[in-house]
Amino acid sequence: MAVIEVKDIRKSFGKTKAVNGVSFDVTKGRIFGLLGPNGAGKTTTIRMINYILTPDTGEITINGLIASPETQRMIGYMPEERGLYKKMKVFDQLMYLTQLKGMNADEAKKSIEYWLERFEALDWKKREISELSKGQSQKIQFIATIAHDPDIYIFDEPFSGLDPINSETLKEIIIELREKGKTILFSTHRMEQVEQMCDDICLFNQGEAVLTGKLREIKSSFGENTINLEFEGDSSFLDKLEGVRINNRSTNFAEIRVLNDQSMQEILKLAMEHAEIHKFERIEPSLNEIFISTVGDDNIKKAEIK
Amino acid sequence: MSLHKVWLVLKREYLTRVKSKSFIIITALTPLAFVAFIGIVVFISISESEVEKRIGILDQTDVLIERLAEINETRYFDVSDVPEDTLRSQVLDGDLDGFIVLTDSVIMHGKSPTLVHGGSGGIAFLSGVRSDLRDAVREERLSRENVSAEIRDIFETRTGLEAVKLTEEGESEDNTLFASALGFILGLMIFFGIFFYGALLMRSVIEEKTNRVIEVIASSVKPIELMFGKLFGVLSMALTQFGIWIVFYIGISIAAAPIAGMIMEAQMSNLPEGATEAAAASFDPSTLDNMVIDPSIFAYFILFFFLGFMIYSALFAAIGAAVENEQDSQQFMPIVGLPIFVAYFLNTKVMQAPDSGLSTFISIFPLTSPINMISRIASTSVPAWQIITSILLMILTFFGIMWLAAKIYRVGILMYGKKATFKDLAKWIRQG
Repeated sequence: MAVIEVKDIRKSFGKTKAVNGVSFDVTKGRIFGLLGPNGAGKTTTIRMINYILTPDTGEITINGLIASPETQRMIGYMPEERGLYKKMKVFDQLMYLTQLKGMNADEAKKSIEYWLERFEALDWKKREISELSKGQSQKIQFIATIAHDPDIYIFDEPFSGLDPINSETLKEIIIELREKGKTILFSTHRMEQVEQMCDDICLFNQGEAVLTGKLREIKSSFGENTINLEFEGDSSFLDKLEGVRINNRSTNFAEIRVLNDQSMQEILKLAMEHAEIHKFERIEPSLNEIFISTVGDDNIKKAEIK
Repeated sequence: MSLHKVWLVLKREYLTRVKSKSFIIITALTPLAFVAFIGIVVFISISESEVEKRIGILDQTDVLIERLAEINETRYFDVSDVPEDTLRSQVLDGDLDGFIVLTDSVIMHGKSPTLVHGGSGGIAFLSGVRSDLRDAVREERLSRENVSAEIRDIFETRTGLEAVKLTEEGESEDNTLFASALGFILGLMIFFGIFFYGALLMRSVIEEKTNRVIEVIASSVKPIELMFGKLFGVLSMALTQFGIWIVFYIGISIAAAPIAGMIMEAQMSNLPEGATEAAAASFDPSTLDNMVIDPSIFAYFILFFFLGFMIYSALFAAIGAAVENEQDSQQFMPIVGLPIFVAYFLNTKVMQAPDSGLSTFISIFPLTSPINMISRIASTSVPAWQIITSILLMILTFFGIMWLAAKIYRVGILMYGKKATFKDLAKWIRQG
């Protein structure tokens, strides 16, 4: 069942086409990843789903309802630009934000107490945000996102700027929410995070969705066309290879995408002549590689992909 | 629009402001400063008459000193036996405030005598002495000419002017001076109020942008709900503050006359016999009764502040949304500042001539009306149609400005890291 349906939405700012005919469905109880470089239109799409912006054309429905103030309360949203009122006490602040999402005061209080306890943050209730450390205020930000107990959670670049502990905590929360049957959508330009967590993905490039589907299926459709190579010795032989694309190269490691049916055995042979091979493994391509081969080398700003 | 959400925003805005230290301090200190000011005025007008200058009269006419002593026996005393040089050194030593040599030619030829004095006393003192001398010389000349009592009476007549203000309720004691001062002060308060509370609102909008909390809020409420909530939140705070001050003022103005009377009595018991009368004459506590302000003026004050605040704060909110920090807001300030400063400067004209064509125009023109109309209402009787026209025009202006401001606000609050220009604002308005 699709809880978020995005149908052919378009949004322009002046002459810039930020989102240009994007469609995808987010299924209940799954984690959906919105991927792509900065400036690909992810945040604009997310803002439209949150009814912060409205599409110029096209339609977004949440649980069957067209995006509206009514659907806003079904969503918990943590924007990329995170922030809280610095001079407001933690508890007052959470009460305010949770009530704005439509929860009544009694329920909001209960829910906030629960989450503060979960995060071992009950002691900070009366403190102002400006008195908290960065990690502590990040926890309050999570609570602000989830306390009104919505069905759908949207995190825009959730891991950027998080300290490692909070990063782990957030992953646990996301997995836990999925187990409860909630739906999660998050965006990131860091592909490796998606590989670990997402069920479904949508690849964005220059305002368009270039690839949509189940992560497993997408990966296997590309086949085991990639070699993970670990070696010791002179790595200059890698430059002599033809019909390949080398991602992720370091002194004794290379991820080699084999193009044009080039024989993998030939590559192994060449490698053995120049270096001592520790590991030679055929694998499915990384998401990064999938992204590059989908949009084409020339169409992406390389610096923005990691 | 969800009123519940507007209410939530309003409540937060109001409570965080009213609970803040600066609110409590400003609310408490302003009336204290006011009381201190009134206290100083009362004290000065009492103590002024305490220090009477002593002027020696070296009288060569033998008649004027008596007449002068009749007019003011503490001020003038006879030093006709003392040589002029001694008097000079006494003035230099400060033992004597001053002395005058009076010769016959002062009476006969109207020659101006010279006051030799220590240099203190001010204009009021000099003109007092001058008028005393004139009276003394005139009376002396009249009596020398054997003028009849009737004619002498003519000269003694001082025609005054009693002004009475005629209103629907009947005649009342006129207090034009107080009324125009009040009008000016109320206009001034609206001027400062609009600027102070408007800037507060603007900072509050900027704060949400710089804190980046705005996007979370925008995913919960419509921009227009947020804007209205904040606007009315700051307005409620302003009205709370004004309300406290008005209640305080009414209390003070009722209590002022009796209290001032008490202070004066206490003061007078310490004064020497002669000075008491002079002090009583110079300050009459019943003048403080004039300070009781017609409640309808407060009602107009609140109404015009309300309308003025609504018009200008919509602009302030839009500016706040268009900028990243307070410094950047400077470039847009003339939009708000120009009309309001014009109103402020022209308010002195309104005070001088509240019924002139200029005054009438600026009190109806919606951008200057909040300040200039209240000044007119307090100082003159404004025709009802003018008041109604100005109110209607302000309401229309508010909707027009709100319509523009809401468009700028909607786009602006989500723009980070970019300094908007006037061109951008025009684009946002077209887009909206």
